[in-house]
Amino acid sequence: MNALRAELLKAVTTRLLLWFGLGLLAFLLLVLSIHIGSHDLLSLSQRSTQRSTLAFGGLAAIVAVLIGSLLVTAEYAHGTINQSLLAVPVREKLLTAKLAAAVLVVFAIAVLADAATLLIAEVWYHGRGVNLHLGSDTLAPFLGAVGGSMIAAGIGVGVGALLRRQTGAIIAILLWLLIGEGVISAAGDSARFAPGHALGAVVAAHEVGARDMLGVWAAVVVGLLYAAIFCTAGFLVVLNSDAPTSGD
Amino acid sequence: MIEVEHLTKRFRHATAVDDLSFSVPRGRITGFLGPNGAGKTTTLRVLLGLALPTSGHATLAGRRYRELAAPLRTVGAVLEASNYHPARSGRSHLRVLAAAAGIPQARVDQVLAEVELSGAAKRKVGGYSLGMRQRLSVAAALLGEPELLVLDEPANGLDPEGIRWLRNFLRSFAGRGGTVFVSSHVLGEMSQLADEVVIIHRGKLVAHQSVAELTLQATGATRVRSPRAEDLLARLRAGGIDAEPTEAGTLAVHAPPERVGDLAAEAGIPLHELVAEKGSLEEAFLELTAEPQP
Ligand SMILES: Nc1ncnc2c1ncn2[C@@H]1O[C@H](COP(=O)(O)OP(=O)(O)OP(=O)(O)O)[C@@H](O)[C@H]1O
Ligand SMILES: [Mg+2]
Repeated sequence: MNALRAELLKAVTTRLLLWFGLGLLAFLLLVLSIHIGSHDLLSLSQRSTQRSTLAFGGLAAIVAVLIGSLLVTAEYAHGTINQSLLAVPVREKLLTAKLAAAVLVVFAIAVLADAATLLIAEVWYHGRGVNLHLGSDTLAPFLGAVGGSMIAAGIGVGVGALLRRQTGAIIAILLWLLIGEGVISAAGDSARFAPGHALGAVVAAHEVGARDMLGVWAAVVVGLLYAAIFCTAGFLVVLNSDAPTSGD
Repeated sequence: MIEVEHLTKRFRHATAVDDLSFSVPRGRITGFLGPNGAGKTTTLRVLLGLALPTSGHATLAGRRYRELAAPLRTVGAVLEASNYHPARSGRSHLRVLAAAAGIPQARVDQVLAEVELSGAAKRKVGGYSLGMRQRLSVAAALLGEPELLVLDEPANGLDPEGIRWLRNFLRSFAGRGGTVFVSSHVLGEMSQLADEVVIIHRGKLVAHQSVAELTLQATGATRVRSPRAEDLLARLRAGGIDAEPTEAGTLAVHAPPERVGDLAAEAGIPLHELVAEKGSLEEAFLELTAEPQP
């Protein structure tokens, strides 16, 4: 519990979360404006469009995986991992605290992203004179964004522990999301099991899957499996390696 | 208090610590000496659980570091490199550590005052001077009010004033019953501070003795100047005393000044200078860690 408190304190005593939060808000504003602004009124009034609009909060999952990795790699980059290990020498305990902290922090960020999405969408819809229906059918992606982000944070912590290099981890994650997932899409139906696709399916939160998208519960299981695999591998690497003598 | 047993640490291309064994007694200041690259930092990092040993082990108060129930309350460590997030304030840095170790936050301001860093506590560590970072490291080590301090070259980057502060600080810490294990490659510093020294070279133990013993062991010589140096030299050698002329025109005699003075008086040889050159720890150290002559 102490270790978790310390991890949360670490997260809020740098500007990291602030920048990610602001960046996410700006990005949401941009993409939502483009999305709503470019649809015609007829399609805007459809429930399915409204649902996919509100799913933009799921962009928080991308920030989540980055934050998860940074909570680990920043310690290696600055060498603070040494001090952290002196205070909490049982490495699996330190990493578990980081995992829990990442999930909690990301939970807050995803809720914020959902709230911002709702606000921005309401303003745009109002401006265009369309009524935004708020019911379980359109709001399901809000829960999906929160759940998907929390799973993404777990994957991020695992990747961070596995690589332990700050820029390396960020580049690996972005390359995977921008290129890797796209390449896999070409592989056909099994692409829906790729981590990015699975998280997307959690966010979309469709009860029943499709050829290119898993149903929400299957996607949650697949996502958790990825988080478990990356965390296990990453934790083992950290447990069996020396802390760096100083930051890079 | 500290036990190192058959500790070996190999890196890919180097054996940093080679079957090293020694122990550090409670309630004293023990210096940990060795030239650059001797393996001091590596030994301390294994001791503190930051690096994993290849074989052997190191324990504090009978346990491995990771087995300590309350590590920061048992041992305070000052690492060689200061490891801070540049955007975090000194105070926040300590608050994080205190939180992790379950130490009350009030203690943070106490240790900041103890190392005379209160004024800069809210500033970002990125703007600290080397000396301030070193003090922050000491503050972190003191957070848990440990009985044992392990410091890796804490004097690095400190000015003479800072070094004196540190020395007094460690002395008073040991004076209150604390145990100090402090590494250095600056010998003069150790001879004024430590009760005993562990000397390593190329990862192996070279000596473990009290500073007094070590100083004695260092070859002490007597410097003599006389207008009849050659007579004196012959006389000394006849008396079975080792002596040789120096470039400065004096004689270096391997005997205490009393014997040299008495002998000169018996022979009626006038002396213009008679100085006991104290063997220094420095010399002993250099002798012990000299490269073997090919
Ligand atoms: N992480 C590492 N990877 C590879 N080699 C290392 C590593 N750390 C130390 N070494 C090597 O191990 C040896 C001992 O290094 P160490 O830092 O322990 O010496 P030291 O006694 O602390 O020296 P100094 O007085 O310069 O601080 C050196 O040859 C060094 O190059
Ligand atoms: Mg060193």
